[in-house]
Amino acid sequence: MTDSKWLQFLRHYGPIPRNDNMYDETIQRSARRQKIAPIEFEHPMQDLLLRCFDQRTVDPVSVILTGTAGDGKTHLCRRVWTRLNGDEKAWASDSAYLTLAFRYPKDRKEWPTSNDEELYRQVNIHFIRDLSGWAPQQGGEWEPEKEALLQKFCHSLVNPDANELFLIAANDGQLIESWRRLQQTEEVQRARQLFEDLLVEDRQERSGVRLKFFNLSRADSADLFDRALDAFLNHPGWDELRNLSAGENELFGSRCPIRHNFEILQGALVRSRLRSLLELCDRNGLHVPIRQILILLTNAVLGHTDCKDGLMTAADVPKVIAAGTISKASLFSNVFGGNLPENRRLGITIFDYLERFQIGHETSNRVDNLLIFGEQDDHLSHYFEALVAQDGFYGADPRFYAAKQEYIEGSDEGSDSQTFLDLLVAQRRGLYFKIPREWEEELNLWELTVFKFAGEYLAEVVQPLLKGVAVKRMILARLIRGLNRVFTGMLINADRELFLATSGNNSQAKVSRILLERVSVDPNKGERIALHRDPSNGSILLSVFFTPAIHEDFHLTLIRYEFLSRIALEGALPASFSKECYEDLLAYKSQLVAGLLRRQEKDGVVVGGSSVRLNFLALTEQGMPDPKFVEVAV
Amino acid sequence: MRSLPQPLPIPATFDKSSSMWVDEAIWGHRLYDEQSPWMVLLEFLNVFYYEVEKGRGFVEANGLNTLTYKAARRLYLRNILFNNPHLGEIRVRFPHDANRWEQWLERMSSATGLHHPQFAYLKGRFDSFDDFSEVVSLVRSTSLEVNSNKRWTSKFVFPYGQNCLYEDLDNNASTNDRRFFGRTGEILYLMLSRAKRRQELLAALRQSLSKTDSTWDSVIRCLQPSEEEDLSSERANAFLPYAEHPCFDQLAEDWLAILRLNIPGFDVLPHLVNLAGLHLVKYQLSVSRELLGLSAMPIFVCEVVAPKKTLVREISADGYQENNFLPSRAVEAYISAIESSAQWQQALHDHGAFEKCRQLLSERVRWDDYEGPSDPEQLLLAFKQAAMKRHRQHVANIHRNYGRDIGLVSKRGTIKLRYAPNDSLLKTLLFANVERRVELHRFLEKLFQRYGLLFGDKEAGQVLAQGDFDKKAFQANSRRFEQRLDSLGVLKRLSDSCAYVINPYRERMP
Repeated sequence: MTDSKWLQFLRHYGPIPRNDNMYDETIQRSARRQKIAPIEFEHPMQDLLLRCFDQRTVDPVSVILTGTAGDGKTHLCRRVWTRLNGDEKAWASDSAYLTLAFRYPKDRKEWPTSNDEELYRQVNIHFIRDLSGWAPQQGGEWEPEKEALLQKFCHSLVNPDANELFLIAANDGQLIESWRRLQQTEEVQRARQLFEDLLVEDRQERSGVRLKFFNLSRADSADLFDRALDAFLNHPGWDELRNLSAGENELFGSRCPIRHNFEILQGALVRSRLRSLLELCDRNGLHVPIRQILILLTNAVLGHTDCKDGLMTAADVPKVIAAGTISKASLFSNVFGGNLPENRRLGITIFDYLERFQIGHETSNRVDNLLIFGEQDDHLSHYFEALVAQDGFYGADPRFYAAKQEYIEGSDEGSDSQTFLDLLVAQRRGLYFKIPREWEEELNLWELTVFKFAGEYLAEVVQPLLKGVAVKRMILARLIRGLNRVFTGMLINADRELFLATSGNNSQAKVSRILLERVSVDPNKGERIALHRDPSNGSILLSVFFTPAIHEDFHLTLIRYEFLSRIALEGALPASFSKECYEDLLAYKSQLVAGLLRRQEKDGVVVGGSSVRLNFLALTEQGMPDPKFVEVAV
Repeated sequence: MRSLPQPLPIPATFDKSSSMWVDEAIWGHRLYDEQSPWMVLLEFLNVFYYEVEKGRGFVEANGLNTLTYKAARRLYLRNILFNNPHLGEIRVRFPHDANRWEQWLERMSSATGLHHPQFAYLKGRFDSFDDFSEVVSLVRSTSLEVNSNKRWTSKFVFPYGQNCLYEDLDNNASTNDRRFFGRTGEILYLMLSRAKRRQELLAALRQSLSKTDSTWDSVIRCLQPSEEEDLSSERANAFLPYAEHPCFDQLAEDWLAILRLNIPGFDVLPHLVNLAGLHLVKYQLSVSRELLGLSAMPIFVCEVVAPKKTLVREISADGYQENNFLPSRAVEAYISAIESSAQWQQALHDHGAFEKCRQLLSERVRWDDYEGPSDPEQLLLAFKQAAMKRHRQHVANIHRNYGRDIGLVSKRGTIKLRYAPNDSLLKTLLFANVERRVELHRFLEKLFQRYGLLFGDKEAGQVLAQGDFDKKAFQANSRRFEQRLDSLGVLKRLSDSCAYVINPYRERMP
């Protein structure tokens, strides 16, 4: 077979060079032409959004959908349109602005059982499904009708009698920028201020304002991944290929890399490891839009270093098999964009994010021993056999064995050691996806990434808190020790209390020897320190309570967890892993000192008197705190 | 293009240490390069506390340029802290507390600068010699210049409060030889006294200084005897040539902005220091430009340090050189103005021209140090050479020295000096100019309009000639600026190149 309609269509979702503004249109048009359904799934926020407009609401308000490109804004608008009985053909037109009428209960209390028109009010709902396509060009002026419409929108935010509602889909920056170019009436300015506040503070609404704000960038990337992967794998398009009953060396035959990648992607372990990466992106504040997830999946299955645009076509498969370059289609490398040239790879969000884990480049002695000497080694040979030798597609192939031999024997300098080192990168990536759960600990799976404590973070912190279970004592103790080391600048070993120390004149000094206060971790006289989950956005917080009412929170992202763990366990210097984290922690110390002062004020602590008492902090040989009190008579 | 306000006349009695009056006439008496911005602040605080106590804070009660004040000397304190290498040795050699005190008091009987030094009062203040040593060690660790090889009389306690302030003294601890307190702190005080918002600033400063934790000020007072402090003799003769100038107002505004935030404790001071340094540099360059008939605002093209050489770095280095040269050119212009003035020209054509010219110079610039032929041209040439030589010794270095001290000028990553603001300066600028939050591109605009600090392509387009700059290079520079702010934790990036700069210290609630 010369080509496959499904593969041709699927390619549109891949990392091919394209004009991003036309993304949706291109897919929709291609889908219509090929008579293939686009890859779609229910967005986690879909129901929440529909609820704002359908018969589950008695008093609808306007909605703004924001997010980055590829978050699914247009798609969700269409769902609302369909639910409200909007005309399909009208939607299929290219217009960025559409309107329909719907009726809602006039009394705004409940839906009438009868069809009596008197009991309803007609509402016009304006859909601006792409604000950037509808707004004037850079530096241009608003057309008067559009301007009037938006003024009406601003008015509707505070006016319950308005019979016009709006559903606007816009990128964050575009929203603010467009509002800046409107005539600056008081209502417009207030609206813009509101949008800014909601965006910067990550909130959905403000009391007294008739608006709901959905920021799709706050969606759970791991959840989106689950849904997207199911939709991808279960798409009927794959039937076309399955029905080929191909021969061994043909498209979708037993040696076809596309088929093999497809099957790997269905495996529970691979899925779980990929999902973890996306969850960890979320935990580092990096949100992955749907479009990027689809790029990831498409590239994973179709990627091959040598093919046009880095993606295999139907015709490429037999050639690849014949040339013996199947290993260049490895899903394990494709996941990281290894099949793409560097500058294209770094320009694609998902690959940029996944690159930050440095999978393939990070390693441990154990892993490298396994890969290089495992074949011969008594202890490691069964790992090598199971994880590398038995993988006929992407494990040890003749090329790998040859390069390994060259490398070990070290015959001559030149490019050959580089070849093997590149192959090692690919094998390490493979290991990340292949090491089974029972071997995770002994092979130190997470040392294959730059976040050695990521596995523990997910399993011992995120999961328990999600279920409402407390985090293990040992973990909290470790975090406290890390904090103490950063706050005092010394290799202190205390972990039952938090030591708030300053240098006297600078809250951001590296070494602080003046002890202000010791805050108990276990509940004691109103003080306590705990890890918990913020239900409004799912972030993990470390909270220090000075009294039940006075507390300061620290957002414990993955990178901060890693930072504190390394300092606590390995005695790493704070500035060596991440200067940013270090600064963040010093800022948190400032906050804590302020909190302490608030408690002192409340307690009526008096400063001054006939003597001054100073607490100096020194360490014993074992690194335990050795406080010393000095009293000075004034 | 604004012209310089009418400069004030030379004071009738002036500091005899000045061999001529040229730099002073242009910028004041005086801007001094060896006085770092922290030293400027310390000198300023000495003046400030004295004047406030006399009830005339930021008010020139007896007319402009009549400032006189006295500063504390605190020689007991300074001997204990900086002229006292005995503590470690004594603690090791003598195990008993009583012995230790005895030994130490004996050694300190030869303390410098005091008549009959009596340090015994300390025994009653501390429980043990050990405690005393700990406290001394801690105070030393936060002191300024403590690790430099400056003379001990030029080491300073951190300004925790009024009891910590004193003036710089010579090696014998007898007089202020103006080595490190070169009067720039006094200039700073005069500038603020002539700012429009001086009353507000006075209140804000007093409030801020009184709200800080008094623990350390008390401790430092404990190290001093309880008798009345001996003040220095009167200091006078500071001179600032302009009754008003936009630079003074800007400095006051920036200090006010910082004082209004709820920055904890003493963290405010480094920002005040940075701003003082920045505005002094800006003042010197602005006045130079005005004298040369150029537009008042100096331009600082700033590179956000990149791993490789960029065009922005080149332009920044060139700009640095140009600015560095401005004050010298201003001095030349000043002298040329004398030469082309009506009086000089007339004197040239009178009989006894040489004597008349000589007299003129003596009156105008207080210079009378000429031994050459009796020719007005030779006279003027000699004068010019002397003036330029004197200028290059100190005043010409202000731009470079202060620039480096506040983190504006650096050689980082390259061999030439250019403008590359460091994190500390960036934070200071942010705290002074962002009340709550502002869009990134507006922040860049503000930095350019207020200080002439140029980072992005939009601002570059306004100033540099079309062919001279590469838009992409400046765009990359802005992107690095954005990343820098992000790593400082003060940026909130929304999607789509829309980012907000956030001030983590909102305004103090009134």
